[in-house]
Amino acid sequence: MSEITVQEAKEITAAEIENLAMRNREPEWMTRIRYKALEAFERAPHRDPIISEDELLRFIAKPEISGVPENIESLDDLPPEMKALLDRLGISEVEQKYIAGLAVQTDTGVIYNEFLKEWEKKGLIVLPTEEAVKKYPDIVKRHFLRLFEAGENKLTAYHTAVWNGGIFLYVKEGLKVPFPLHLFFLIQESALAQAPHIIIIAEPNSEFHLIEGCTAPILVRHSLHLDMTEAYLGEGVKAQLTVLQNWPEYVHTRPMTRARIGKGARFINTTVGLGTGRSNIANPRYWVDENGYVELNGIILGQKDWYVDLGGEMYLQGRGAAGINASKAVIMDESTVITRGIIRAEAPKTKGHISCDALLMSDRATMETYPGLVSKVEDAELSHEAAIGKIREEELFYLMSRGLSEEKATQLIVKGFLEPMLKDIPMEFLVEIRKIIELAVSGGM
Amino acid sequence: MLKKRGINVTHGGELMLKVENLHVSAEDREILKGVNLKINPGEFHVVMGPNGSGKSTLALTIAGHPKYRVTAGSIVFENVEITDLPPDERVKLGILLAFQHPHEVEGVRIIEFLQQVLMEIKGIDPVEAYDRIVEVAKDLWFTEEDLKRYVNVGFSGGERKRLELLQAILIEPKLLILDEPDSGVDVDSLSVISRKIEELHQRGTAILLITHYGRILQHLDPSRFRVHVMREGRIVLERGGEFVKEIEERGFQKIFEECGCDE
Repeated sequence: MSEITVQEAKEITAAEIENLAMRNREPEWMTRIRYKALEAFERAPHRDPIISEDELLRFIAKPEISGVPENIESLDDLPPEMKALLDRLGISEVEQKYIAGLAVQTDTGVIYNEFLKEWEKKGLIVLPTEEAVKKYPDIVKRHFLRLFEAGENKLTAYHTAVWNGGIFLYVKEGLKVPFPLHLFFLIQESALAQAPHIIIIAEPNSEFHLIEGCTAPILVRHSLHLDMTEAYLGEGVKAQLTVLQNWPEYVHTRPMTRARIGKGARFINTTVGLGTGRSNIANPRYWVDENGYVELNGIILGQKDWYVDLGGEMYLQGRGAAGINASKAVIMDESTVITRGIIRAEAPKTKGHISCDALLMSDRATMETYPGLVSKVEDAELSHEAAIGKIREEELFYLMSRGLSEEKATQLIVKGFLEPMLKDIPMEFLVEIRKIIELAVSGGM
Repeated sequence: MLKKRGINVTHGGELMLKVENLHVSAEDREILKGVNLKINPGEFHVVMGPNGSGKSTLALTIAGHPKYRVTAGSIVFENVEITDLPPDERVKLGILLAFQHPHEVEGVRIIEFLQQVLMEIKGIDPVEAYDRIVEVAKDLWFTEEDLKRYVNVGFSGGERKRLELLQAILIEPKLLILDEPDSGVDVDSLSVISRKIEELHQRGTAILLITHYGRILQHLDPSRFRVHVMREGRIVLERGGEFVKEIEERGFQKIFEECGCDE
């Protein structure tokens, strides 16, 4: 493909903005935000270890990949490898249809069940972000792009210019949502968009668990996925955000997550990267107020030539704030996993801990870890630990001496290695996660 | 790991295990230097010897530990040469090793692990296996809650050895090799372990018990077992069960001097 200039990319993006503004019938203020971001795009720095600037411009000119069937009318239209994998995972036909984007074709994109409608009356709002922009403009204005700057880099600028899809989640003060919200099955079309924008607002003392993504491999048409999540958690909130990733290999993903954690609030942010795509670079950021607590858990499966770079910056700004950044990675084939958590203690009596465990399944697999601990106060407690190793012969022998084949024993060890970190994942996903790990281990042997 | 199939060896008699002229090396050091051992079905054999004489190596080699390389000789079990079989196939033939130092397996719950083991070895479905495991576990002082713990993680010496016995009772091997079941064990655990070993033996399991102290043999009738004494990679003496007393009273060194085995 011929070279694309920044100017050409801008023109293409401007056309896309017009298109989105018209399609969504969005208010002018939002379209202005998009255009401002487009102006910033030109000057914004580009820092990405995998995608060069030229490549980014080519993605912009042609976001969709070729090869994925144009119209999927039945499950038979799915790429055969994908269909085979879904079958092997034992995924039901109904669920397969969701994954293929079939079930919502006649829908506007929102699937509410009666249950959720009941909860709406109690103060739980779950809407596609485009709709929230129209329905709750004041709230959205106060929270849209407040934790990011469009011009931070080219990817944030491009995301802001063309964002589409994503959800708006609002939890009223004191409301405790007793069931996990599976975004993918609620608003599937929004979840599959190329640049979804997610806004989470939890009023004081509310509780919720939001699950984004899907453990099954999903069919997307684009090769660069840029999602952005902004979470505002009020005082005393208890929140969990679980992100399940199983991207096709042709996708580069750049998840951008930031959260403000109020006084005494707890936020557990777990990412399960089963298919992280060819490259996945994330650097979530959290600002934690007095006695607030944040936990970033990363579960990463690296396969083939995948490249995963997981950062995570925590700013412990209030007295007694605490943060844990923990990751467990299973690294196979020639894949590379890098973790670089940073915890900044900026207030007295803060505590931070970084831990990184990796299981290397091949001699060509690479793991790098760069823990960063920064203290601006005297009485902060900051620590880190890392363990990078292979499956121990003694452990394997112990299991084999009980009748398990080398393959089954290895599967058990790998699942066991990840298990302690999967404690908050609902059962239906756990079953699939375990199955995917088993298949990955078998494939790698 | 070698995946060679077992070779059928035609053989007379009812011999169960035949270890012949076994030479074993680990990390380029020869540890076993020609071990010979025969066990018939249902028999009880005890291997004793000073530290470093090769007792554990013998146990681990029979179970198929990949670190121990057989450089000469053979191991035949029920007329099948198993010298090169992987460990999972050996246990399926009926040889189970209860470890001296059972390994921790992080993240793997005992109950799920044992359900999978019973499925692999005996084809018992997990629901049925669950009840059976819980029932046997009670006898070994494990509650249903204990079975949700990770395999050996944070276990005391006594707990580890009791878990090994639990597995032995569930798997019901033809030959159970016990590597120092009495080391690092509290007195109460020791009594339940020795009782369970006896029960297994009475139900027909052949036992090969490795011990340094002979503590565990105090409860056993000496006329029921044979004692083999190892020294520097060889079995140098074979005697009746009453010989344990003599070893305890006089020590290995004296005994080796008298029999001329210390050459």
